[in-house]
Amino acid sequence: MTTTTTVLSARPSFVETFQRLRLGPYLFVLGVAAIDYVVIGPNQFVNALTIGAIYALVALGYTMVYGIIELINFAHGDVFMVGAFTSMFVLTQALGQDGPIDSPGMLAVVLFINFTITMIALGILGAAIERFAYRPLRHAPRLAPLITAIGVSFILQNIIQIIYGPSPINTPQVIDPAARVEIGGVSIGVVNIFTIVTAVLLMIALQMLVSRTKIGRAMRSTASDRDAAQLMGVDINRTIAITFFIGSALAGAAGVVQGLYFGNIQFTLGFQAGLKAFTAAVLGGIGNITGAALGGFVIGFVEVTAGALGFFVWGQAAVFAVLIITLVFRPSGLLGQQLGERT
Amino acid sequence: MKLRKLGGLALGAMLVAAACNTGGGATATPGAPAPGATQAPVDKGTLKIGVTLPLSGGAAADGQPTMKGAQLAVDQANEAGGIGGYKLELMVLDHAVNGKYNEQQGAQDMQTFVGDSAVVGVVGPYNSAVAKVQIPISNDAGVLQCSPANTNEALTKPEFGALDYRKNFPERINYVRVAATDDIQGPAMAVYDFNTLKLRNLLVVDDVTTFGKGVADNFQKKFEELGGTVQRVGAPADTTDFNSIISAAKPETDGVYYGGVVTSGAGLLLKQLRQQGKTFPFTGPDGIVNGSGKAEGALIQIAGAAASAGSYGTIAAIGDFPGRADFEAAYAEAFKNDADFNTAGAYSGPAYACATIILKSLEEFLKTSPDADQAAIREGVRAWASDTSNTFDTVLGTESFDKNGDTTQPFISFYVVDPAAADGAGDWVFKEQLNFAQE
Amino acid sequence: MTAANTKLSRTPAGGPGLRGRLSDLSSRHRSIAVIVGMSLVALVLPLIVLLPPFSSFSGQTVWMDGFTIAGIYVLLALGLNVVVGLAGLLDLGYAAFFAIGAYTYALAASPFTGWDLPFWPMLLVGAVVAAIFGILLGAPTLRLRGDYLAIVTLGFGEIVPIVILNSSKYTDGPNGIGGISPPTLLDTRFPTTGNPWPFYLTMLVLIILSMIFIYRLQDSRLGRAWMAIREDELAAAANGVNTVVTKLLAFAIGASTAGLAGVFLASKLQTVTPNLFRFDVSFTVLAMVVLGGMGNVWGVAVGAFIIFMIQSVFLKQLNIFFNNVQVPILSDIDFLQYQFLLYGIALVAMMLLRPEGLFPSRRRRRELHTEEDEVFAEHGDAMGAAPE
Repeated sequence: MTTTTTVLSARPSFVETFQRLRLGPYLFVLGVAAIDYVVIGPNQFVNALTIGAIYALVALGYTMVYGIIELINFAHGDVFMVGAFTSMFVLTQALGQDGPIDSPGMLAVVLFINFTITMIALGILGAAIERFAYRPLRHAPRLAPLITAIGVSFILQNIIQIIYGPSPINTPQVIDPAARVEIGGVSIGVVNIFTIVTAVLLMIALQMLVSRTKIGRAMRSTASDRDAAQLMGVDINRTIAITFFIGSALAGAAGVVQGLYFGNIQFTLGFQAGLKAFTAAVLGGIGNITGAALGGFVIGFVEVTAGALGFFVWGQAAVFAVLIITLVFRPSGLLGQQLGERT
Repeated sequence: MKLRKLGGLALGAMLVAAACNTGGGATATPGAPAPGATQAPVDKGTLKIGVTLPLSGGAAADGQPTMKGAQLAVDQANEAGGIGGYKLELMVLDHAVNGKYNEQQGAQDMQTFVGDSAVVGVVGPYNSAVAKVQIPISNDAGVLQCSPANTNEALTKPEFGALDYRKNFPERINYVRVAATDDIQGPAMAVYDFNTLKLRNLLVVDDVTTFGKGVADNFQKKFEELGGTVQRVGAPADTTDFNSIISAAKPETDGVYYGGVVTSGAGLLLKQLRQQGKTFPFTGPDGIVNGSGKAEGALIQIAGAAASAGSYGTIAAIGDFPGRADFEAAYAEAFKNDADFNTAGAYSGPAYACATIILKSLEEFLKTSPDADQAAIREGVRAWASDTSNTFDTVLGTESFDKNGDTTQPFISFYVVDPAAADGAGDWVFKEQLNFAQE
Repeated sequence: MTAANTKLSRTPAGGPGLRGRLSDLSSRHRSIAVIVGMSLVALVLPLIVLLPPFSSFSGQTVWMDGFTIAGIYVLLALGLNVVVGLAGLLDLGYAAFFAIGAYTYALAASPFTGWDLPFWPMLLVGAVVAAIFGILLGAPTLRLRGDYLAIVTLGFGEIVPIVILNSSKYTDGPNGIGGISPPTLLDTRFPTTGNPWPFYLTMLVLIILSMIFIYRLQDSRLGRAWMAIREDELAAAANGVNTVVTKLLAFAIGASTAGLAGVFLASKLQTVTPNLFRFDVSFTVLAMVVLGGMGNVWGVAVGAFIIFMIQSVFLKQLNIFFNNVQVPILSDIDFLQYQFLLYGIALVAMMLLRPEGLFPSRRRRRELHTEEDEVFAEHGDAMGAAPE
């Protein structure tokens, strides 16, 4: 950020204020969204926002972990998958649900309990993975924790496969998937709205947590300079554990939403979703929370637009092409986090 | 806690297993005679029938009932005293890796079969992609292979490139099949969609596999010939989000054809179609006719019984065969102790028929040359089965093969989902069958 | 940086005694050691399987066919070892280069294109084509830090099968390409069945050549530059190593080995389909390299061979065995299905407890156990490994 000119002039010009707000990336995403809306139409736009919201929630975990310990947590996609299965377990075993719930009050209670239990359970899982698989390797060569992460990913997948079998399984869609509301002349599924709103609320909550609370400050300081933070009295281990807890809890929430939206889950779910969410995190500027959220939605747009234009099979390839192009031309991502590249 | 216990159990089991195996390896294939050993005239020893199918993971629902069909035939032959003085043994190899068929493992398994001189014929495979790597090997060795379920036309018909797969011995037919080919199965559903269901504008989705794309191509060609229009999309089998495809469907779309097998894709497509309020018919090949709403991973189970109403599928084999009820009863009796696969699947009958064809060929050959060695038996079985003038009385009716090894009785059976069947879980019920035999 | 220092780190710490002298000898004449060692292995393997219990599973021909396929994985592991073990770059899309090699030969010698180019030069062509793709992918991404490379290669590994699947015009899409010509030597085609020796011996020669090549590289200036980068990229760059070119070479050499393996696979199976090159191949090979011992050529070769035999023979025999004897719980467990669980546990356990692998290279062990001999690792190895 250049501040030399602003000191000289008493009132910053409009252009300078604009630059200082760093709205460029946001406007870029908005522009992409607007053009996309025209190209693919309102229905597809809602489809894109919905899966984009899920990718964004998963991407947050990647970006937080990378921001704080510079590790690509390959197991994160599978943590998301475990979240979907935990949610199914809570809904069917603990709450005895098997289909849409009509009464709004009852629905709210069920959803609240489901989100709470799933997110806490997944948060604990995430913190446990950190404790046992990554913490012992914090000073090992970089390759070691990456390989451990791949191992953890295999283990999570296989545990779920042992318990629930290899076939895809139905999970209760407590929000009636056929229920639709009319907004501005467009018929939108209630579950789509729920997904998008939940994701946005969680992102706002996370942003508040990171920017306004003491633990948020500890996380930010650990991310920018671990040694200095330690000298200032930040408990590094605890902070990293909490980061894993929060990131995994968000992946758990994404898992809940995934189950509600698609009604069917499989143990292999995490691999592809994780890869796309990671792309979203890189696109947004890895280490940057707002960036990950924006990136998630952009990936949603890319994928759905490919489908809408009749190139569905190329959608996945397009997502990875976005990843490679971002890394080549703007490795710091849309929001250009300082943590992007620091070889 | 549950997780850890289960994981520990599995691990412990593996360790125990490892320990057991080193000690008892030899008992894994009991009764296999050393080649060339002198045999008593009454009991000449054991011959093997190979079974090559994907049997584990997500593929188990396809492979296991099919394998058991073949097993039933072999068990019955043994109970009847064997064939020509030989006892028979089923040699089963699974080429599913991580729950999905794997071509390379399929090729290795075929090498195992051809390398075991006691193997006189092989039942399988299930997936056309696997057949493409196995046929060059079995053709080279001259081992009879009978597939209950392969439908890709390129495997047998020279005009579709079958000679690429039997390059070394193009005239030696060693691969036969009782299922009708996709150039019959696809068009059959196209005619049904156009004439019976009166559909005109279809969304055709394929799962980008050898089988799925092939059958969808055949379908599309015929449907367009008839005057319908097709909007074609490919979506890999592990796709979960079909909403963008559904939203992109043209407004005049009045039906869907899904070319492929159900992993979860077809079920989720159907489910999401209904959620978006599209109630038009959902049609597809044998890949979607994969069991009732109670079967794990079946189309009806994933989409739900209600959403599955209005689904139509084909089976590339005779559906209403004369001995069907008896066969299903025999199957249920034989495998009543198997928790998962105690009812016959769509390809149990064809697998039983395949085993019957191999056994019958063996019996006929041994009648003329009872003292032949194993290599001669192998060749004799192949020659007898592929001889176009021979016929076989199988559970599916009288079978015979044409000069390419295709059945001369290519039946296509049509099934429709009855949401009330299987105690309300929904199941496929037989509707009609057509014989596409060419004169 | 001095020659003496370099020498020091290369001299095995075997010390006196027979074992020490043997390893001393073998490291001085590595090419000969590879040829003798591999030939011995290749001679012994077909004999071992004639003995029980191996002979009871299947005949010699079948075993040797399995060994040949195992050889493909050994080749893949050797190549990935250059990337991961020597240069310290994590490549998670290695199967893509395998696919590129296989399709190169499939297009060059099959009825699909109508060409029938000879196998032997195509081995080289396949390797070169794969290397070119490696450079194309690596050039823009290798400037970034290592873990980005991991994710880019993972994406690349996903894209390649997708592109092959959906470019039906050039690859026949999901149908795959059939009727690929087997190799020909002295006007004789390699038999598909019956006689496994031609394919077996060809594979043996490929492995020997690759091993010698990789050993030579490892002991060269380039090899020391790789290890310097692996240990500390900044320090290596400060000492004048061109890190981008050095990493690119590792990437290209790894890719070309996979290309070689791909050409061989295509000629062996005579059919290729995109399904053969999914991500599980990449991860299996990675597990082989890690478990075998990153950086140790012999280690990864043995690791790959053992893991392949476990997954394709041992687990399978367990299934057959328990199905036959009908042990209550055990016959319901499908051991093949848990292959990746075993990999997962092994990868984590290995990284936590024995990061140098089952058969570690000496240098790697020293690096990874820094506490035990920190002084040596820092002053002897890191500096000695930098180029003169």
